[in-house]
Amino acid sequence: MAETPIPLDDKTLLAAADWWTRLRDTGNNTDNVSDDVTEQWLEWTLLDPRHMEAFERVTALGMQLGNLDELTRQRFISEFARPVSAPRRRSRWPLAVVAMTAAASVALMALVGYVAWTLRYEGELSNKVYVSAVAQKEEITLPDGTKVTLGGASRLTADFSHKERRVELNEGEAFFQIEPDARPFLVTAGALAIRDIGTAFDVRRTGQHVSVAVSQGRVQVSDKSSRRPDPKALEAGAGQRIFFDPATAALHLGDIAPEQTAAWRDDRLEFIDEPLDVVVANINRYSPRPLHIVDSSLEALTFTGSIKTDAIDNWVNALPKVLPVQVKATPDQIVLSRAQGKSSP
Amino acid sequence: MDKLEKTIDDAAPGYAAQVAELFREHNRALIAFLQCKLNSVHDAQEVAQETFMRMLTLDRPEQIGSLRAYLFRIASNLAVDRLRMHKVRSDAAREQLPEEIWHGVPVPERHAYATEQWRGIREALRELPEKTHQAFVMHVIEGRDFAVVAQTMKLSERMVRYHVTHALAYCRARVGDLEMP
Repeated sequence: MAETPIPLDDKTLLAAADWWTRLRDTGNNTDNVSDDVTEQWLEWTLLDPRHMEAFERVTALGMQLGNLDELTRQRFISEFARPVSAPRRRSRWPLAVVAMTAAASVALMALVGYVAWTLRYEGELSNKVYVSAVAQKEEITLPDGTKVTLGGASRLTADFSHKERRVELNEGEAFFQIEPDARPFLVTAGALAIRDIGTAFDVRRTGQHVSVAVSQGRVQVSDKSSRRPDPKALEAGAGQRIFFDPATAALHLGDIAPEQTAAWRDDRLEFIDEPLDVVVANINRYSPRPLHIVDSSLEALTFTGSIKTDAIDNWVNALPKVLPVQVKATPDQIVLSRAQGKSSP
Repeated sequence: MDKLEKTIDDAAPGYAAQVAELFREHNRALIAFLQCKLNSVHDAQEVAQETFMRMLTLDRPEQIGSLRAYLFRIASNLAVDRLRMHKVRSDAAREQLPEEIWHGVPVPERHAYATEQWRGIREALRELPEKTHQAFVMHVIEGRDFAVVAQTMKLSERMVRYHVTHALAYCRARVGDLEMP
């Protein structure tokens, strides 16, 4: 616009935004209602030249945000459009904010494939980032020769220096086969730091829930913010699993059958007494149609069992038989709510 | 515009002048109206053009009470048709595209989400209540209808519109005009 921009006050913008949502909504109305709204809107725009100006600016923003490139769009969805019922925490690290949204995967509809690129976030970071799409597994070889299998809808950041090899699992799951090297290999995931002592192990991060399962050798798991040596650090060997529960901020050591470690590499998700929201967030890394839990009371339920990633629908359909849930499937999502009786207001 | 001008010449002289006047007076509003509905500068221009063509080739224009109201009704109907067509196409495209195509998607060195361009919007959204930014992102960015957002969030459609309106005004007030990509 060539002319001097007219200063717009917030009230005008609010009115313009209100018209924007009202006009957007008329698609389903009858012609008469729609005509009335349009007519009233026209009258409003004629009252004051600033009105049309404000409406155009609001519309321009709506258009830009409605036409984002796919990756940017998914990032916004991951950060802001996760279910309200899921717990939410904030981190100062922007990448982690995205990663933390376990249910983020809910939104990761397709795309991305496996990519590596240099990400500079506001000039601070210069890391290699690996991303996988929903239902895609990716084989990665890190610069030191370490082999990583990345699970569906997962993201990993590698930051290697001459002193150490650092990897952050930002979200999802990864199985590591560490290449021996003079430099220590350190994986961080949520609150945890996992130090390898010559190994193959799996790390799964679901929001702040982290699970580490060892198939070979040993790892040491500690709170990543504590100084070394961390008196509360735990070690796990082959056939063992360490689970971090954010509710109690405690580490639990348990056993895991070797065939269950990283079973997802054979298209099977294994859960041992895990909260339903964690289970759902992990399924969503493989399901083209995201699952949503709409009753937060369901998140306390736990599930033990294995789910075939190519038969998620079967599992969902059978779920009401084992848990008090109701399943409602639409073409673009599956909603889990508490079975019958009292629905929340 | 050549085609439009020719049609104007062909129409009944008095009526053509009336439509030309309507065009002059309401083109800006019509474009804004269509951009709001269609989310696209290009589609809005095409539909506006088509709307005027339809106006010019009406059989009995004298029977219409308000030409302005009729203009916007035609535009609205054409917009609805176009949105429906886009939906069918994009659903079909999603099904037909082989996986490899997605793997080949080039990712820019500095991804847009992390750039300055969206920082203001991200910050503005973080300042808003959770339900407000959730409803906004689901509708405006993700492209879900109000009804779907309402169902997912267990809110009334009226509340969803309320949240979307507030977030939109807030983001607009917090960031200056962004450069169109």
